[in-house]
Amino acid sequence: MQTSVTAGAISTVLSNPSFDSSSDRPEIVVQVVDLKPIGNRYTFSANDGKTKLKAMFTASLTPEIISGKIQNLGLIRLIDFTVNDISSKATKYFLVTKCEAVGSVLDAEINLESKSDEEASVPKKQKLEHSPVTPVNDVKMDVSTGITLKPKQEFVSKSASQIMSEQRGNAAPAARMAMTRRVHPLVSLNPYQGNWTIKVRVTNKGVMRNYKNARGEGCVFNVELTDEEGTQIQATMFNDAARKFYDRFQLGKVYYISRGSLKLANKQFKTVQNDYEMTLNDNSEVEEASSEEMFIPETKFNFIPIEDLGLYVNQKELIDLIGVVQSVSPTMSIRRRTDNEMIPKRDITLADESKKTVVVSLWNDLATGIGQELLDMADKSPVIAIKSLKVGDFQGVSLSTISRSNVVINPVSPEAKKLKSWFDSEGKEISMSSIGSGMSPATKNGSRSMYTDRVLLSHITSNPSLGEEKPVFFSTRAYVSFIKPDQTMWYQACKTCNKKVTEALDSGYWCEGCQKKYEECSLRYIMAVKVTDSSGETWISSFNDEAEKILGCSADELNKLRSEEGEVNEYQTRLKEATWSSHVFRVSVTQNEYNGEKRQRVTVKGVAPVDFAAEARLLLQDISNKNKASQ
Amino acid sequence: MDTSSPSAFVNGALLRRYIGQKVRTVIQVIGSDTGSVVGKSTDDLQIVVRGSSPPNPLTTYLEVIGIAESDNSIRAETWTNFGNSFDPQNFNELCKLANGEFKHMFI
Repeated sequence: MQTSVTAGAISTVLSNPSFDSSSDRPEIVVQVVDLKPIGNRYTFSANDGKTKLKAMFTASLTPEIISGKIQNLGLIRLIDFTVNDISSKATKYFLVTKCEAVGSVLDAEINLESKSDEEASVPKKQKLEHSPVTPVNDVKMDVSTGITLKPKQEFVSKSASQIMSEQRGNAAPAARMAMTRRVHPLVSLNPYQGNWTIKVRVTNKGVMRNYKNARGEGCVFNVELTDEEGTQIQATMFNDAARKFYDRFQLGKVYYISRGSLKLANKQFKTVQNDYEMTLNDNSEVEEASSEEMFIPETKFNFIPIEDLGLYVNQKELIDLIGVVQSVSPTMSIRRRTDNEMIPKRDITLADESKKTVVVSLWNDLATGIGQELLDMADKSPVIAIKSLKVGDFQGVSLSTISRSNVVINPVSPEAKKLKSWFDSEGKEISMSSIGSGMSPATKNGSRSMYTDRVLLSHITSNPSLGEEKPVFFSTRAYVSFIKPDQTMWYQACKTCNKKVTEALDSGYWCEGCQKKYEECSLRYIMAVKVTDSSGETWISSFNDEAEKILGCSADELNKLRSEEGEVNEYQTRLKEATWSSHVFRVSVTQNEYNGEKRQRVTVKGVAPVDFAAEARLLLQDISNKNKASQ
Repeated sequence: MDTSSPSAFVNGALLRRYIGQKVRTVIQVIGSDTGSVVGKSTDDLQIVVRGSSPPNPLTTYLEVIGIAESDNSIRAETWTNFGNSFDPQNFNELCKLANGEFKHMFI
């Protein structure tokens, strides 16, 4: 078994692309260098000691990498692979579908140096191996303009362009420019090699922010860059560089960028899938790629149909949506809780082929800019696509834009076309229901979410670590088994905003949220209820709307009954009547710390009456599933 | 609960297994005459139910408990209106399970 790489194998393969069967291919052992994950696949550079070529493992090999069988700096024998082109460039890459690890993992890159200029891949990389570059390792956000490159780099770049101009001779300047601009894929950038040029599209542009910290003041903005292969990276500019490039960078345009610096991405601020992030300083070059063909992909959307949004409620994952605009609200001003600043918001209602509607809240610039545009054209029912929306649970399901959300009106895409034609043919006539209404407590019938994630109570109580990180949702059918008559069942609430009010010294109630005093307040439930089913029992907390459904009357009414004197206490009767009634509950399970102990907290999110036919169907399904499982 | 004379859950197809025995089923009423009601079983077969006092008026669904006379008729002893909303598929599945793998749990 070889314990080293097959020298020169890469050049041999590249010059002989017509391998038909793997038996024709000689045994090739290469070293895995720069192993990096992109999405769920891993890319690397295949090093045969003389040449390094970009390569990628298919997703089926990802488990072997994660398990450590294939490691960075390790050797692999390529059993099955193809040589593919990288779009319009002259370089190729290996797509490895099958390989095996050989030998033991090495400490460093193998280099059987040979100074041949003919090699297909990057000669500059080789040279750099001999001129050690101090790794750029600036973890803190520096006020000064980023990292400057060592002079040695410039020497290398000159020689590269020298090589190029020697080869090209007196080619036309434009052509020569294009040639010297050897474009590197974003995936190949690293902090240790600074001589690159990338060709990227600005897929997101942040606002210019002013900041003040211990070191002083400054301004900063960042852009999200995407290259031909879809790799993304965030580039940040401070002060002079920020001012220099802010206007030059325009959303959607393509640029050649070089002389930026790279460092490991600060996970706290990471918005883009890349181990590294880029900083551009005053010396960096940013040039618009005007007349050239751009193969760079437009913003990649991954649309979720409205009816499936329930799965994403309150999750960290952001989603993309495409829909037809049904209505646009006027701008509202909302006070931001953190700093009491007023920010603009606009709500738009979108519908899609799943025959459901959803409300999307546009914030800040999106509310005033694009939001106004949409208001003006709302009667034309335009199609809009939005990238990066947060899914909340206000009124069941609500979508909100964040700073990096991207809205495109009437996008040119097959999905948009399909949506528009569906809308024109049937969508605009039919009445559609809001996706949230199925899940809010206000509906009469149970909804789809009452039948998804159905569990028995024992499933919740037997697993104390449920909801440790983020709340988990279930539906369950159970009986109300006990309501303690002596508990504090309600709180005094502001009639306007429902927040808790405090009694003012001179009659009336003070609301912190509204910053106002009110004459009256309403009572809203905050009730602990015990529920039981055939598998077990647990206490659940119920807020106003759900408790009203369980008890059948409002808190104000119940309060009146409670204070009534008399033989028969109506209050107790009401509670008794509510007991041993069965409901279908939508619950969330979270973890609370209580006196140092972790406790499970189950909260009712929705209540629906039991639909016996539907429940019977569920039971039949359970039976049939059990049969299938035991076969 | 009086378990002295149990009745088997049947649909149209299972009725023939219990000729001469006590059965119970739910039918969708198609027509009625003096002394008989014609209905559709939950598996879409026709069943005739004869007896002295069907309820009046009849709702869409009717439960019948009685003796199976043939593979498509029952002599009713008890009739009960089951209302207008009833899920015949669920009942049909119940009949299949009650006569199949869960027979031991019934008669």
